[in-house]
Amino acid sequence: MTGKAKKLRRLIKSIWVFNWFNSCGFTELVPVVGSRWDMERFGMVVTGTPRHADVLFIAGYQTHKSIRRAKIIFEQMAEPKVVIGLGACSMTGGMYWDSYNTIKRLEDYLPVNMYVPGCPPRPEAVFEACEKIFQHVLEMKDE
Amino acid sequence: MNESDLIRDLDKEFGACAQEKRKRRVWVSVELNELIDVCRFCYGKGFRHLSTISATDYPSEGMYELTYFLWSYEDKLLVTVKTTISRDKPVIDSVTSIWGESAQIHERELHELFGVKFEGNKDLTPLFLEEWDGPPPFRRDFNWRDYVREKYYDKENEREKPYYL
Repeated sequence: MTGKAKKLRRLIKSIWVFNWFNSCGFTELVPVVGSRWDMERFGMVVTGTPRHADVLFIAGYQTHKSIRRAKIIFEQMAEPKVVIGLGACSMTGGMYWDSYNTIKRLEDYLPVNMYVPGCPPRPEAVFEACEKIFQHVLEMKDE
Repeated sequence: MNESDLIRDLDKEFGACAQEKRKRRVWVSVELNELIDVCRFCYGKGFRHLSTISATDYPSEGMYELTYFLWSYEDKLLVTVKTTISRDKPVIDSVTSIWGESAQIHERELHELFGVKFEGNKDLTPLFLEEWDGPPPFRRDFNWRDYVREKYYDKENEREKPYYL
């Protein structure tokens, strides 16, 4: 993660999220947005534009076509920014490991900060990933 | 118009090529040079809806079979027009002059997945496979697993060894 510790500490009080989901990605992450697991209690809000977002959630298999759009979205986000890959597909290709038109490892294309394994990952796992990032920021030393 | 009327008209116009497969389903097998005429004839008979175009690959016989599914809203008839083209040099005339945009997108897809070239179709750029360098992926002799192993994975990598089993 890049950026000054002081700035990041201010940022983690409210994380704005941009979702980039292919295939089943979004349906699996809907519980996180919904009232039962409610991500807003941690100050996480889904934004409509990448220019307002701090965190980019990427889930589902990415095709060669969609990863180009994901790169454009990543470039539009303001620093400091975090990329979290969700699910088995973004890590290894998942059940599409032998598909000719999906990418296999997200980190070959975008600087991924954290992977959340699972097919799909549980909402608790998503929150744990965010918590780890919060903890990391809190433990960062001032320069 | 019912099935037998259509079969009679087609036989009169193009020779014995049509058969009733079952109720409200008619198959028409035509030569490549007759395809556009048959399609135009059917369009004139009220087959205004081109449901889809599909290709079937027969590597042992060296041919693709192209199948056009036409639907008539007035007569509730489904006509299946079949023709064969060479597999090595898959070139065929486009039916965009008859059905326009709805034919265009089906032909674009077949061009992407089977490599069939439709002469007269203005836009045959790939729909999904941007920056694709392999052969057309829906051909039967395209081994996608070997392609993926070569392109994405490393046999020496301990974590990727299971992909080569």
